[in-house]
Amino acid sequence: MKHTLQISWIAIRELIYERVFYLLFSFVGLALILGMFLGQLTFGEQAKLTLDFMLGSMQIAMVLFSIFMGISLFQRELQMGSVSMLLSKPISRSSFLIGKYLGQITVQLGVILAMTVVVTLSCLKFEEVHYLAIYQAILLIFLETCVITAVTYFFSVNAGSITAALASFAFFAMGHYTTDSNRKLASESKPLIEIIAAIIPNLEVFNLKTFASYGVTISARELGLSFTYAMVCTVMFLVLAVLTFDRKDILT
Amino acid sequence: MSSTPCITITEVTKIFKTGLFKSKKAVDNLTLQVPQGEVIGLLGPNGSGKSTTMKMILGFLKPTSGQILICGQSSDTKMARSFIGYLPENPRFQKFLTGTEVLFYYGKLLGLTGLALKKRVEYLLEMVSLKQANKERVQGYSKGMTQRLAIAQSLLNNPPLLIFDEPMSGLDPLGRIEMRNLINTIHGENPNSTLFFSSHVLEDVEILCKSVAFLQAGKLKTYASIDSLIAGEEQRYEIVLQNISRELESTIFKHCPQRDVATGKSFSLEGPEKLSWVLSQLIEAKTKIVSITGQRRKLEEALFRANERLSLKEVSL
Repeated sequence: MKHTLQISWIAIRELIYERVFYLLFSFVGLALILGMFLGQLTFGEQAKLTLDFMLGSMQIAMVLFSIFMGISLFQRELQMGSVSMLLSKPISRSSFLIGKYLGQITVQLGVILAMTVVVTLSCLKFEEVHYLAIYQAILLIFLETCVITAVTYFFSVNAGSITAALASFAFFAMGHYTTDSNRKLASESKPLIEIIAAIIPNLEVFNLKTFASYGVTISARELGLSFTYAMVCTVMFLVLAVLTFDRKDILT
Repeated sequence: MSSTPCITITEVTKIFKTGLFKSKKAVDNLTLQVPQGEVIGLLGPNGSGKSTTMKMILGFLKPTSGQILICGQSSDTKMARSFIGYLPENPRFQKFLTGTEVLFYYGKLLGLTGLALKKRVEYLLEMVSLKQANKERVQGYSKGMTQRLAIAQSLLNNPPLLIFDEPMSGLDPLGRIEMRNLINTIHGENPNSTLFFSSHVLEDVEILCKSVAFLQAGKLKTYASIDSLIAGEEQRYEIVLQNISRELESTIFKHCPQRDVATGKSFSLEGPEKLSWVLSQLIEAKTKIVSITGQRRKLEEALFRANERLSLKEVSL
């Protein structure tokens, strides 16, 4: 566990040193510009539009962050060869992989908290905003990024940077496409899609953006189920990644 | 413990899949035992299986068959890796860390903590002459400094086995000398540690190592001490003469390699018997001898001849 935490700490420092703040500044900049212009462009539904845009941007930014930073953190060590010095020490490969994952998730949590502050400040001027609904939606965006990051690590272990990025984006897209209604339609017409839908988790479970815009909250039970679903998916993909990485020949 | 060999490689084969139906045997039934305290050079041309062997020892690659033990422990265990200090060919570190931070990071991964770690880091930074640059980020380090920092991290827990992959690669001549001196210092301070390193430069191996293992096409061709390899060869002498007559030149030195030097004409002779005979002839002819120098056979030639003998043996079998 000590080794895992050591590796996490270095991963956190690496992400902070590298590019993480560019993402944050981009988001803050975008939110400010949006706050200035959206209110002038629309009448009556400024709050809903602003929230929709902000939460959508947050989700995309976090997914991009999960995939690119995940690949960068893991693949760079392999390509640079620094992994060889790490793994020549008495640490397990699972400590290395999980350490990196936990480091990245910690930074993602920090980034999403900072984004939450920006969203909250931007919404202060609106009266009809339901903050609990917003925070629930943000929490689920974070849970979704936990799953996507685990998936990215799984693909990074098995493929090169570009393939892993493409596969992770495809996973994200299909995860949102394979909603319950689409699954039913697919099972009637296309068996291949049915099989894919059965394997890929339903990421629409984590989409509460529309609920937040309309000020609708979900129950604690539903929130708990989403949390459990995210944890199960995350652990499953991380275990698969660790098992594959354990058997992988390291050529660097 | 002391009688246990540091590295025991038993009938190890590594096959890489290179395509759907294609595969390549990188290491072929390799058996090798390296005793403790040995400084051994792993030699061989590109693609001979040196790196693959090293990576299997480190547990990065799993042998297709056979077994590797490090101080009696299987090479894929954490225990085995705690006996190893590794210097890769092109060491890279997280560029945002300083030299001290790098050593603290790796030290903690090795289970070192507190004052013991602090003292060890300070001692190693001093040893590798990085004390001045210890607070500098490694992204500003030169190739030589990075190499020295990598050596320091390999020595953190004072491991009984040091594996250095091409430690002189990419260094300028001065850097090479520094690195050789550093390796000598390391082994001088801990003579019981085993140093296993690969190199393309035979001169480095000849200076640093006690023995060599020569790989070719994944097979072990030679494993012997450098002294025994060179001792089997005849001593060579270089003799410089002035005003030598054409008659002597065409009779005595008919088959000897020769070249013009500033002080006269230089001839190469092999073996003490030939030298005695040539000297008696020269004295009789009253030829002026400028100098006679004994030349040690180079490892390169010794290895070449050893492999030639092996090949002939294989053919005759």
